[in-house]
Amino acid sequence: MISYWAFSSLINLITSAFLGFFVFSKNKKRALNVTYALFCLSASIWSFSYFFWQVSTAGQEALFWCRALMAGAIFIPVFYLHHLLYLMRIAQQRRGVIHFCYGFGLVFFFVNFTPLFVKSVSPKMWFSYWPDAGLLFLPFCVVWFWICLYGIWLLAKHVMLSAGERKTQLRYVLTATLIGWLGAFTNFPLWFDIPIPPIGNIFVSVYISLVAYAIIKYQLLDIRIAFTRAGIFIFVYTLVLGIPFGVGMKYLGSGLWLMPVSLMAVFATIGPFIYLFIQKRAEEALLQEQRQYQMTLQQASLGMGQIKELKRLLKLVVHIITKAVSVEHAEVYLLHEESGQFTLKASRGWKHKNREQVSVMELDSPLVVYLKEYRKAVICEEIEQYVRDNDAKEFKEIADIMKQLDSALIVPSFIDQKLIAILILGNKKAKKSYTKDDMAVFTILANQAGLAIENAQFYERMKETHSQLIKAEKMATVGTMADGLSHQINNRLHAMGFIAGDALDTIRSKKKEKNFAGMEAFLDEIEFSLSRIEDNVKRGGEIVEGLLKYTRKGSEGFEEIGFDKLLDSAVEMAQFKIKLNQIRIVRNFEKNIPGIKGNFTQLQEVFFNVIDNAYDAMMQRKEELNEDGYKPTLEFFAARKGWKLEIVIKDNGIGVKPENIEKLFTPFFTTKLSSKKGTGLGLYVIRQIIEENHGGQVKFTSLYKEGSQTVILLPSMVEG
Amino acid sequence: MSKLLIVDDEIDVREFAKRFFKKRGIDVSIASGGDEALNIIGRHRPDLVLLDIQMEGLSGMEVLRKLREEKNDIKVIMVTGAEDPSIIDEANNLGVKGYIHKPLILEELEKIVMKELKISVHAN
Repeated sequence: MISYWAFSSLINLITSAFLGFFVFSKNKKRALNVTYALFCLSASIWSFSYFFWQVSTAGQEALFWCRALMAGAIFIPVFYLHHLLYLMRIAQQRRGVIHFCYGFGLVFFFVNFTPLFVKSVSPKMWFSYWPDAGLLFLPFCVVWFWICLYGIWLLAKHVMLSAGERKTQLRYVLTATLIGWLGAFTNFPLWFDIPIPPIGNIFVSVYISLVAYAIIKYQLLDIRIAFTRAGIFIFVYTLVLGIPFGVGMKYLGSGLWLMPVSLMAVFATIGPFIYLFIQKRAEEALLQEQRQYQMTLQQASLGMGQIKELKRLLKLVVHIITKAVSVEHAEVYLLHEESGQFTLKASRGWKHKNREQVSVMELDSPLVVYLKEYRKAVICEEIEQYVRDNDAKEFKEIADIMKQLDSALIVPSFIDQKLIAILILGNKKAKKSYTKDDMAVFTILANQAGLAIENAQFYERMKETHSQLIKAEKMATVGTMADGLSHQINNRLHAMGFIAGDALDTIRSKKKEKNFAGMEAFLDEIEFSLSRIEDNVKRGGEIVEGLLKYTRKGSEGFEEIGFDKLLDSAVEMAQFKIKLNQIRIVRNFEKNIPGIKGNFTQLQEVFFNVIDNAYDAMMQRKEELNEDGYKPTLEFFAARKGWKLEIVIKDNGIGVKPENIEKLFTPFFTTKLSSKKGTGLGLYVIRQIIEENHGGQVKFTSLYKEGSQTVILLPSMVEG
Repeated sequence: MSKLLIVDDEIDVREFAKRFFKKRGIDVSIASGGDEALNIIGRHRPDLVLLDIQMEGLSGMEVLRKLREEKNDIKVIMVTGAEDPSIIDEANNLGVKGYIHKPLILEELEKIVMKELKISVHAN
């Protein structure tokens, strides 16, 4: 069996060679990767020589490998420190130290060829050929240790000062460093005849692996998987090939070659299966978090797309955020187009804070300006770190604003080039920092939310346009009523003019007579005249009131409406536009049918339009077909149908040609002869009011030259 | 005695005009609709008809058309509300003496009626 010492160096060799190459190949130009690769190279030389030193069978051979391993070992702390300085981003400031270290390395590299460094080898503890320290070995050790400790000290200091993800990262590297160096240090005592064997040797691999992981993780997210795969591969194959190899070494030359060879065959066969098994488990564990995020996002985008109401949508967005990461609080600030300000539109979890929330962010707020310029999420800790490191006053204001918002992460939401919303995330409940993964996830979420917000805003604008169209249609209808209305009012004025004129005439002749006999009859006459005037005033007032009721917006709410009463009010309005005496209106329904649950003014508008359309169709038939005995008849049926009230309106008018039926509900489409008569909005408005505003249904059927039928389903007051 | 027929579906208009013109020594009859008007014209032969255009049932225009179809060239003054100009044109073609627009002060109407009936207006 090969010794643990040889085995550990083999592991170190494989790890450092492979990871050094791997990290280097990921980015050949980045100083961080290059210095790490050089560090791995020196560790590889050291491990490689270490292995052959351990398996040496002669003193001269062992001495050669000892010197070779030191050639690698000399440079290990040098590249280590250089790499660390890049990791801490202070390589430029510490150039002097770096130069000194490389000088030190070079000097001892040459000293290494002399017995001043490794004097000889001699048996120590279980080792047959342990090196003896030369004259210059002690000073070498002092500097060598100093470089290591200096690196560790710098790193520890940086961990203290940094924050957020960076702190996690550096703390991670520091832990790895301590493990690795403690392991490596166990190689030294025996040089000075202190009986401690190099038991920690294998920990060097741990350090190399952990740092490689940190570097890769810092750069890319999914490389973690590739990296895990590589790690498992090394682990499995070191075991699979290493065990038979070790067995073979032990029995080397003893003729028992069959055992290691067959072992190798067995292990090589099961190796891939072990590898696949472990790999699957590891990837699942790694991917779980990612999958959870993806699920949340998928559900979120599905949910968000379905919500047309902006207020509910924003509520959902903050809900998703707080659910996805279990965050203390979350807010959405939305761009207000007119003012350019960002106003607080949705908030969740702020209640426990005992202070006022920021309700408006101005367009020139440093945070808004920053988000617009950099177009990416901001982590509060990073901004604070940046302000500390670089004394950047311009970012100080942003950090202050984030503090005011009590925000740990801020994500902008863009549509094209426009910042339309800002997502604010509080601290995670678990007090953990936000990672790059979080940023990536929330950036996607913010973009999806942006699209959904735009969608909802569009829908709300469309709704607004619809209600404006309904209003415009009403006003246009009032225009068509002008004739009828002025006629009605003129009739009142005309009558009152006659009444007053006659009364004046009576008074004037009475005055001329100078005979005040029969005063009682005179007063009776005047009294009658005045009471007639009063009656006409009342009737005129009713006309005006009806018109005002019709044109005013009316209440938005729903109430119980009796269908009979609704028809009365619609007919009352219709008489201003049409000659009601020309048609017969039949009400074929029971007086006690359940009431409609609806908005009175809107439904009055619907039935006004229904009567108006039927009237026009019937008048057209009368004129065009000129049938004998044609009686224009408009019939209303109403009956309860489940939870709804079904109203059927039937006329025997001219009907609609089949080619026009499809177009009837299109705004501004009209078949009416004179453009003065129709706005082309009547049926469109009917559908809007019934279907959009009342959740009802309209169906229109028609036969040309026969008549039309409209079926309207409206929610009724029926319960149970 | 001059005979005047007032046709209007407004009771106040009919009644007060009747009372007013009666005091001026005119034989006034009234009708509340087109059919009644034609009936009275046939029986009573008035000298002048004040004919409201817009009425329930048979309208003023229809009465006028019927009269002219029957070659009756009785003097007619149309009373209009807010009618279409085409109706006014038609009435003109059918030889009306004039039209009065609602609302009208009774004194104004008196002048027109008196002129058509060739009665001089004096303050009596």
